Amino acid sequence: MLSVMPKPEVKRAVNPDEPLLSVQDLEVEYHTRRGKVRAVDHVSFDIYPNEVFGLAGESGCGKSTIAHAVTRILHPPAYIVGGKIMMQGIDILQMNDDNLRGFRWEHMSIVFQSAMNALNPVITVGAQIMDAIQAHTDMSKKDARARAKELLNTVGIDPERVDSYPHQLSGGMRQRAVIAIALALNPELIIMDEPTTALDVVVQKQIMKEIRQLKDQFGFSILFITHDLSLLVEFSDRIGIMYAGELVEVAPSRQIFTNPQHPYTYKLMNSFPTVSGPRQKLVGIPGSPPDLITPPTGCRFHPRCDVAIAGRCQEVMPRLAKVGDRHYAACHLVDEKVIHG
Amino acid sequence: MVSNLRPKQEPILEAQNLTMHFHTGGAFSRKTVKAVQGANVRLYPGRVTALVGESGSGKSTIIRMLARLYSPTGGKVLFKGKDVLEDKSRGAMLNYRSKVQMIFQDPFSSLNPVHKVRYHLERPLRIHGKARNRAALNDQIDVLLRRVSLTPTDEFANKYPHQLSGGQRQRVAIARALAVQPEVILADEPVSMLDVSIRMGVLNLMAVLRDEQNIAFLYVTHDIASARYFADDTLVMYAGYIVEGASSEELIQDPKHPYTQLLLSAVPDPARGLKTAEMEVVGEIPSLTSLGAGCPFANRCPKVMERCKQVMPAVTELSPTRWVRCYLYE
Repeated sequence: MLSVMPKPEVKRAVNPDEPLLSVQDLEVEYHTRRGKVRAVDHVSFDIYPNEVFGLAGESGCGKSTIAHAVTRILHPPAYIVGGKIMMQGIDILQMNDDNLRGFRWEHMSIVFQSAMNALNPVITVGAQIMDAIQAHTDMSKKDARARAKELLNTVGIDPERVDSYPHQLSGGMRQRAVIAIALALNPELIIMDEPTTALDVVVQKQIMKEIRQLKDQFGFSILFITHDLSLLVEFSDRIGIMYAGELVEVAPSRQIFTNPQHPYTYKLMNSFPTVSGPRQKLVGIPGSPPDLITPPTGCRFHPRCDVAIAGRCQEVMPRLAKVGDRHYAACHLVDEKVIHG
Repeated sequence: MVSNLRPKQEPILEAQNLTMHFHTGGAFSRKTVKAVQGANVRLYPGRVTALVGESGSGKSTIIRMLARLYSPTGGKVLFKGKDVLEDKSRGAMLNYRSKVQMIFQDPFSSLNPVHKVRYHLERPLRIHGKARNRAALNDQIDVLLRRVSLTPTDEFANKYPHQLSGGQRQRVAIARALAVQPEVILADEPVSMLDVSIRMGVLNLMAVLRDEQNIAFLYVTHDIASARYFADDTLVMYAGYIVEGASSEELIQDPKHPYTQLLLSAVPDPARGLKTAEMEVVGEIPSLTSLGAGCPFANRCPKVMERCKQVMPAVTELSPTRWVRCYLYE
């Protein structure tokens, strides 16, 4: 379905071992009437070139807040109160509005949750793609239109649909059009926040497959956020698991699925049924995620954890520690294993 | 014509040839949306039947017809062998709903935000005359909340919906459905709005109710993996038609209809890894206003034949527990 497109010129030399994006000690607070909510608490992770990094966790764990912080689209009552977000040596959090305008779309673009509604209903799809191109380059209208057609072709839409309005396209095609806009300026990083949530699984599979092909063709990285754990494990190279605003485990996705180290990850991976393998009794996780206005002391997962160490997990917050090759977990039990085992 | 077959048992609730066409496009338009066409569903005491399909396939329309929220364009609904659609009086409705209850998808909007949990449970108990006085009422509320594991019950009875998590709200909705001691529960995507970690708790609770109270469940979902986990039988729906029915495990292990095969190959599944045989399928679900007489999957089906486009295939029974609507198996 993909056309052969001229390879974009490399904007700068990319070292595959150096992180493209580095989130360091990020802290985000929501100021509410009931008090301050620490939605993201000292979260650090790196995304490498051409990598898909997935963020997983339950609703309210802070994964979308991170995506919004990285793109600097957080609005009050959300405030970034600490940390750095480095991309290619520049701290995104220190950029002024002009820098930010140039940075967005050229270096980083976003595909939103409910992307089907992200298109303007009274403007043709082609014009919306041309808009993004012309805002950032000196390209003539004619060339921009040709490029818009090329992009539609790249994402598997007939280029003749360039003059269609969003309502004339199916849900899957609208989603593809949004991805075309995200690709328009060949950014190094695309943030995808629940990109296929509203689509049926067959269309979802096609689109995810195409995104993967585009990623390999153009060499961009993806920060992938979804609540669908099966999809996340299947699609991501590495995964970060979040719980109550903290990153509790980071590992290659196979590792996360087959050899999780944090009790929360372990339980989460045993919380959803699959269509293959033996049919087994699943229990989920008792209790519910904590209220972040008054989060539990120590490890935030300890009230729901059945292997918590008395006297320790309630009091001391565990830090991310290396447990294997590219595998980190924040759990006192893991510390014990590393120390004693 | 048959649906999921359980020859030794009589179905408690049965839909026969149920059809729903919605008129659309204004008073002078002749457009109709053919939401459901000739659906047959049988529910048995102590069994869960799943109805699986994508959004827009008609599964919610079927559950609403069974709950008598919609009047079908055609077909029958039989409760214990008796046609219930004939009598539309309030008494008959009330009687039907004391036997057949519904649980909705969104526990954030199915509870009234200005009333406590107690109120939500009191209402069905009073309306259906299940409790005559205050003491009986309190006893029953206590039993119901205990049944859905919301303890201490006094505390939960006095909470407002906003003080509860999504999973707890859905448990209140289940308790409310149980209040009238129903024999059938129709559950429309009951866990799809809940967090992954609490979904299993709610499904397991419903499985206990099936086993201990012998309740018949219709479980409507888009998630075929959860149907495999929770349901005894599974029906697969596509563009208004139920195209295949079988025991859940049989269906997952050996799907017959090309659409079921496609659906299963597309479901993300980390346990399966990358071993899946990719099915190349193009196109999307057809518009329900322009469906022809043929099989609705014909335009995407890799094994399409000429006659698939002419007439929708009839039911072919493959075994006493499974059937399919596809010419490949005639």
